[in-house]
Amino acid sequence: MSKPSDLIQGTLDLLILKTISIEPMHGWGIAKRIQQASNEVLQVTQGALYPALHRLEQQGWITSEWKEADSGREAKFYRLTRAGKAQLEREMAQWERLSGAVALVVSMA
Amino acid sequence: MLGSRWWSVARMRLSSLLLRPRVERDLERELRFHLEQETAENRALGMNASEAREAARRSFGGVALVEDECRDMRRTEYVQDLWNDLRYAARMLKKSPRFAVVIVLTLALSIGANSAIFSVIDGVLLRPLPYGDAERLVRVFLSNNQYPKFPLNPNDFRDYRERNHSFERMAAFSRGDLQLSGNGTAVKLTGFRVTAGFFATLGLKPARGREFEWKDELPGNERQVILSDRAWRREFGGAEDIVGRKITLNSQPFTVAGVMPPGVEHPGNSYNPIPNGETVDVWWPFAFEGDVKQRGSHYIEGIARMKPGVSAAAAQSELNSIMAELARTYEGDRNWNVLVNPLYREIVGPVRTMLLLLLGAVGLVLLIACVNAANLLLARATSRRREMAVRAALGAGRGRLFRQMLAEGLVIAALGGGLGVLMAVGGVKVLVANLPAGFPRAAAIHLNETVFAFTLVITLATGLLFGLVPALQAARTDPQEGLREGGRGWSGSRRQVRLRGLLVVGEVGLACVLLIGAGLLLRSFTNLLRTDPGFRMQQVVTASITLPRETYRDKKAVIQFYERLLPVLRTSPEISAAGVGTDLPWTGYDDNVGGFTIEGKKPAPGDQFHARYHCASAGYFEAMGIPILKGRAFSERDKVGAPFALIINEAMERRYWPEGAIGRRITFGDPPKEEDWMTVVGVVGDVKDRPDRPAAEPALWWADTQMPWPFPDMKIVVRSRAEAAQLGNVLRQTVGEFDPTLAVSDVRRMDVIADESYSAARFTLLLVALFAALALTLSSIGIYGVIAYSVEQRQHEFGMRMAMGAARWQVLRMVLGQGTRLALVGVVMGVACALGLAQLLSTLLYGVTARDPMTFGAVALTALGIAVVACYPAARRATGADPMVVLRAE
Repeated sequence: MSKPSDLIQGTLDLLILKTISIEPMHGWGIAKRIQQASNEVLQVTQGALYPALHRLEQQGWITSEWKEADSGREAKFYRLTRAGKAQLEREMAQWERLSGAVALVVSMA
Repeated sequence: MLGSRWWSVARMRLSSLLLRPRVERDLERELRFHLEQETAENRALGMNASEAREAARRSFGGVALVEDECRDMRRTEYVQDLWNDLRYAARMLKKSPRFAVVIVLTLALSIGANSAIFSVIDGVLLRPLPYGDAERLVRVFLSNNQYPKFPLNPNDFRDYRERNHSFERMAAFSRGDLQLSGNGTAVKLTGFRVTAGFFATLGLKPARGREFEWKDELPGNERQVILSDRAWRREFGGAEDIVGRKITLNSQPFTVAGVMPPGVEHPGNSYNPIPNGETVDVWWPFAFEGDVKQRGSHYIEGIARMKPGVSAAAAQSELNSIMAELARTYEGDRNWNVLVNPLYREIVGPVRTMLLLLLGAVGLVLLIACVNAANLLLARATSRRREMAVRAALGAGRGRLFRQMLAEGLVIAALGGGLGVLMAVGGVKVLVANLPAGFPRAAAIHLNETVFAFTLVITLATGLLFGLVPALQAARTDPQEGLREGGRGWSGSRRQVRLRGLLVVGEVGLACVLLIGAGLLLRSFTNLLRTDPGFRMQQVVTASITLPRETYRDKKAVIQFYERLLPVLRTSPEISAAGVGTDLPWTGYDDNVGGFTIEGKKPAPGDQFHARYHCASAGYFEAMGIPILKGRAFSERDKVGAPFALIINEAMERRYWPEGAIGRRITFGDPPKEEDWMTVVGVVGDVKDRPDRPAAEPALWWADTQMPWPFPDMKIVVRSRAEAAQLGNVLRQTVGEFDPTLAVSDVRRMDVIADESYSAARFTLLLVALFAALALTLSSIGIYGVIAYSVEQRQHEFGMRMAMGAARWQVLRMVLGQGTRLALVGVVMGVACALGLAQLLSTLLYGVTARDPMTFGAVALTALGIAVVACYPAARRATGADPMVVLRAE
């Protein structure tokens, strides 16, 4: 199981932004989606997820509202702001550069 | 896009701060929802309810921890800390109320004084003048070596107005009071004759009716007036149909052409001056008449609005070239320059130095209060060293301790500032009520937003300034050292003692600068009062009277009126002497007549004989108490047809006839005929133009019964023991019996008039003395604080010394010596600064140099003496150290 500290710094932000770029989601949903999409490789703990969500919200990349979830209960749904979309693009580009570079170094050996 | 992000960030921060309970509740709900989802999922996997909840909680980790981390993301801890710091600071102050009261009161006094003085500066110096685009307004004068500012000649004015390209508009005005009759007693209205477009030049418009245009300058059209709002309401009850109405002025029918709105301020004038402000009642047309070649008489004052982008200097040089052209044609225009001065400088110039001096003085007081507060805070910081050390040991960072001490400074400053504003409210009222006579723009002085903003800024600045020193000290706290020494009698505070000593030296130095300023002003003021005025102020009452040209057409009529009035006045039982004269002492008269011939003498090349000229009746010198030193006063002998009699002052005799003037002759005739010669029959004592002038100017008087041309404006001077009000009635009644359309105005006691000449000097002196006293008190508190603290620290040492046999007086001397040394350094610094700054004061001084050794010496001794007195209680405590107690405590 991958702890967030094992993730490269800033990757969690990318995962969150990417995940909610598809549709607004609550914290539990985000964690689940990342887990499923990564074939259970990436597991985001609550201790990392919620502070990250709150930080992204404070930074203005995402915003939240209280809505009814599938279970019929009120949940806090996060979605990207316009600034957040641009931020996602930047993070994606940076991720691709980084992972490409890492792949290069690794394949050299 | 960036903008919208910052906006949402700001909204988030604000709601984290202000809606904290809701934000907390949301956080709790959010995390609970997660737990419940997790539990529900576990149930779906087949766990029972309690197992499912347990597993969910386990996988979540510490809820409190997550909550805390989320909270940290809000980044509001600085503000929260500040709030805590402020609350903590307030609690600390409550714990030592005496300390808090001293510090807050001294700050409040200084901040209040600064705000009050600043409100005067703001109203008088900073606010634009109440005219449209006032920065383009200038006054236009003639000028030469002898008369730096002289009125214009009307015909010259018309040439300037036609030929110049610098001005958008140009206008002229000349004092011309009018007497309103027709409803009860005659009333004198303060008036000016103005050229076309006078108000347009000022950027003002009438509220009703119209202002004068070029047609109104033609002779015969001058019988119309524009009323001030005040005169319209006072004399005509604010009648709606006033425009076009005929009213009786100077016994003539005048048509009301317009009414000005309230707040029209007189721009000030220099010939027959009245103060700037809402001081004018009526304006009426100036008619240009007579020979356009006549360029010798100067009596109208110029004002102009420059075109945008034109400077006063450029306008001046253009007018000078016009003047040079005119001088080729007209002899009267030779030897004159044109002077163009910004109106702002003309109006506020006379009080600018004084106001800046006061601002400087009050600023010094604030600086001293700051140093004092820093000093007291520092003393307390020392006794709180242990507290700081404990907090540092518990993990408070340097920044935290620094911020906390700074917060204390801000709390104190805020209290001082708040109280200071209240004091300023009272202070401004007192200031405005006591402003010197004729102070410009007094009506513009208010406490307003600018003043409040200024107060806020100086409050914050002082708080930061005096909070900084102890804050820096606190940030340096080394927990180990503090805790180890904190127990008792620590000695490792040399740096601290030195710092506080330095602050006290600074305080004493600044206070000395203020004291020296106050001392110089005091000496200068007593010099003023001690100087013999040259006339009697007590039991003399004066009044103004004007004989309108319309009813008193020639000098014969004027002479006759006074010849009949004065004997009747003298028969009144209240009056022991009576006379009339054109001028009163010390009221700003500075008109010279030049170009006369002195029998048997020649003027120096390029110069001409000149003297202040006046006209006075028999009885004038007696009533005014001006001594006849040689010869005689005017008498009945000096009639029309008799040889012209002349009375001169000592200054004129000294200048032109050092050998003795009685019987000598002058003439204005050119070439003189025998009957034009005027013979000096008397020499009177000197009276200066104003009490602060270095010497009297040469002056001559004609007898009213031989006046060379009609003098319609006269001052009645009577000697009497009666009250001014009662005398006013006597004068009005007597004059009314001769001519009911004449107004007797300005009934005033001569001592009151004379007192106004002192009022500016007195005002400055009182304020500076007040500030100096405040500064001295503050620095005494400072010295006492430092010495008392050092005595406390050295109590042990003093006890030991006394146990070893030191006498009380030796300990006393040690402590007093320490205080005196600090004060001495401060005094030396203060004296040095004052020597450097003294020159700034010199224009406000009379009869004392700005570096008067006596004042400097007296201030130095006073400051030292007070320092010793301030140290004495602390010194007494040092000698009270009981050796036994001290040793037992060891």
